[in-house]
Amino acid sequence: MTASDTDKQLVQRAQRGDLRAFDLLVLKYQGRIAALVSRYVSDPGEAEDVTQEAFIKAFRALEQFRGDSAFYTWLYRIAANAAKNYLVAKGRRPRADATIEDAEGFDDGWLLAESSSPEAVAMGDELAGVVEAAMRALPDELRSALTLRELDGLSYDDIADVLECPVGTVRSRIFRAREAIDARVREQMNGESGFR
Amino acid sequence: MTAEDRDREALSALMDGEAQELELRRVLDSISSDPSLRERWRRQQQVRERLQGQRTHAPDVDVSIRVREVLDTGRSVSRNPIWSMAVAASVTLAVVMGGQQLLIPSSGIAPAPVVSELGGAVVPVLGAQPVQASLGARSLPVSNRQTAGIQSAGQSVAAVYERLARDRYHRLNGRHAASAAQSHPAPYISYVRVPEIKPEAPVSE
Repeated sequence: MTASDTDKQLVQRAQRGDLRAFDLLVLKYQGRIAALVSRYVSDPGEAEDVTQEAFIKAFRALEQFRGDSAFYTWLYRIAANAAKNYLVAKGRRPRADATIEDAEGFDDGWLLAESSSPEAVAMGDELAGVVEAAMRALPDELRSALTLRELDGLSYDDIADVLECPVGTVRSRIFRAREAIDARVREQMNGESGFR
Repeated sequence: MTAEDRDREALSALMDGEAQELELRRVLDSISSDPSLRERWRRQQQVRERLQGQRTHAPDVDVSIRVREVLDTGRSVSRNPIWSMAVAASVTLAVVMGGQQLLIPSSGIAPAPVVSELGGAVVPVLGAQPVQASLGARSLPVSNRQTAGIQSAGQSVAAVYERLARDRYHRLNGRHAASAAQSHPAPYISYVRVPEIKPEAPVSE
């Protein structure tokens, strides 16, 4: 089981009209899609509109998604087309071009978007700093489980083999690790207004 | 472990594709009634991106509410006929006004092919569902031969404008409905059915 299984589960429900499932997909991918759209459309307000439009278009085309490619790859293509079409409608030329390889390579780490504002970079760095500090503060057993999951991409079964513990324990450790990190992130959010 | 703890643990498992179908169903139910669970999902996705070194330094955008509003509004049915009529009237007004604004020629934009010149209205079609007249795009059922001629770049320009106008309308209508819901003494569903939006051209995978 992987994170793409999550997408499959949510997409299948969304295809049956479950908007709550699609909502989770929007929450999951809106940051990445907004980053992609920002590479084409520099105005933040316009980029937000195009991002919204891309998700609406994706939902309406969801019936046609057969799962031959990853959901994100498919969504990425829709968003890139939405951004290009928007610029064409405005009589402007795309200032950058994103390829589908960018989408497929996303899971290996995405490069910093050229259009990122200093504020966005600062906020992103700030969150990264909080997450990193929270990871360091985790007890070893929780950190190992989460690292194997997030950085090595292992399934719960594989992690259980590596750590020589039951799958239920793996699940619980990963959950507790995320809770601890989330507490630090929320603390930071409440303390600083510019950080969400 | 409390029910909230179980939901949060199931949410964590869902992130990893390790949630059972029943857990998924429970999480989706809980998210509907517990906004904090939804926020947690959003935060944890951001945390994951940082952990995995995916640096999405985009502005902190949250379009999820607006997306949901648009999709909800397009699918929901009002249970209060008076409210429906009132909203339908404001819908027509908004579409007409929006249409007038958008139909003003703008330099640098190629004229789009026009199938219907209707300014904007809900057109009853015998034996069919209502079809919304659109701005420079297909608004009435037409033959395949007719539609073939409008599959062009110009149509996509018009379609983009149409969608933008529609989205703007949905946004305004959502605000209007929310504000009316707060001040209206009678219980009603604060959204309205609008004509079904037909899917656009297939998107290849």
